[in-house]
Amino acid sequence: MTVAPERTLPRTIQERAAEVAEVAAAHAERTDREASFPVETLAALRASGLLGLLVPVADGGLGGSTADLLRAALRIGRADVSAAMIFAMHCQQTAAVLAHAGPRLRAEVLPELAAGRLYLASVTTEAGSGGHLLSAESRLRTAEGDLVVDRFAPIVTGGAHADAFLISMRGPDDDAPGRLSLVYARRDQLEISGSGDWQPMGMRASHSVALRLAGTVPQDQVVGGHGGFSRIATGVFAPLAHLGWSACWLGAASGALSRVLRMLRDPAGRSRSALGSELLLTRLSTVRARLDTVHALLWRAERMVAEGVDLSTPPRQLLLNALKITAAEQCHAAVDELITAVGMRHGYLRDSPTRLERTLRDLRSAALNYSNDRLHLADGRLALLDPEVRLA
Amino acid sequence: MDPRFTALLAPFLKHLHGREITEESPLPELGLDSMQSIELLFAIEDAFGVPLPDEDLNDATFATAGSLWTAVRAARAAHEGSVGAP
Repeated sequence: MTVAPERTLPRTIQERAAEVAEVAAAHAERTDREASFPVETLAALRASGLLGLLVPVADGGLGGSTADLLRAALRIGRADVSAAMIFAMHCQQTAAVLAHAGPRLRAEVLPELAAGRLYLASVTTEAGSGGHLLSAESRLRTAEGDLVVDRFAPIVTGGAHADAFLISMRGPDDDAPGRLSLVYARRDQLEISGSGDWQPMGMRASHSVALRLAGTVPQDQVVGGHGGFSRIATGVFAPLAHLGWSACWLGAASGALSRVLRMLRDPAGRSRSALGSELLLTRLSTVRARLDTVHALLWRAERMVAEGVDLSTPPRQLLLNALKITAAEQCHAAVDELITAVGMRHGYLRDSPTRLERTLRDLRSAALNYSNDRLHLADGRLALLDPEVRLA
Repeated sequence: MDPRFTALLAPFLKHLHGREITEESPLPELGLDSMQSIELLFAIEDAFGVPLPDEDLNDATFATAGSLWTAVRAARAAHEGSVGAP
């Protein structure tokens, strides 16, 4: 009797994300304690093919969509929101390369991404810019036809582990701070020095250190042409950042609620009187409603971006900003409320299997990460530009 | 372009450094950010007596001095057309 060999089906994107999430969960407690980069999770991301998620199948990638990216970020975010952010932000960078890199650079970068050999970090904030993307003082120089990069960046997520960087700087001939260029630079093209100090409240495994990057790259490593950064920021970075971050935060808050519900339903710990508490039931309802609100907004915004419409109009900018503001507030509020619901032992102690303590610290960063305060100011002005109130 | 329009525009362009505004002048690169567009819009309404239609409020309209002027001129023409109609 012969047994047919087991057919190995290609793994789905969600199966790959689940594998990465498992590795992330296994190392999250330690990387949080040590404030260290999750090297095991990055290795799992490389092996999973997810670093090439958005790369077309014809170029060896998984050919995934933005929706696939969000589902993967939600899944990994349930285990470790730092790892999910590392993944989501890498995908933002790859989307910029896919949409705007020239043919020579694409030919170099796409196979590397697809093979899992290229983890891309972003250097788009500068000291004094307050997280604002569209201004930079550092300027590219030209030397013998090449471009000379010399740039300090106060916060580069995964900067010590990235294989290459996308760096925003003023072009050699750009005299306006508002005119920026985006440059691709491999680690072997750069001298990298950094402080290495990183002791934040949460998001500790995101290892977002200050770095100085200096080196020389050929002209064809400018992505989107000189002065092209603002177009890339509006069309790629801003929408994918708001969608991707929101998915990571929603994943984190969903994971927290799930762990609390499993604990409450566990026969060993179940106490009828606790589950009959009207206060507890009301709190669970409120938490769930917060997550459903963010979920609905996330997928509405994803649809709008997928339709390929002009995202620069006030109603559409308002929707994307509202997603980020709402996800940041509601995901943090949901976990805070869960802590109140389950109390000191399972809400406040570090070693509780609910991991609410870590998740709350992680999600505290959400409102600060591209500050909600600044987005509200922009949204107030944008609201004035739409007196008819055309909801997107 | 109407000299009243370029005179009105100039104070919003902090990187203009006294150069002449042409149809091709890129507004975002010369310093017009989204935070200022609302003030610029109000200034245009006050000077020319017409609001820009909501559907013109996008990056393409605010890309260059020429694209913005085209939108202002179209809004004025539409306004005069409707006022002049019996």
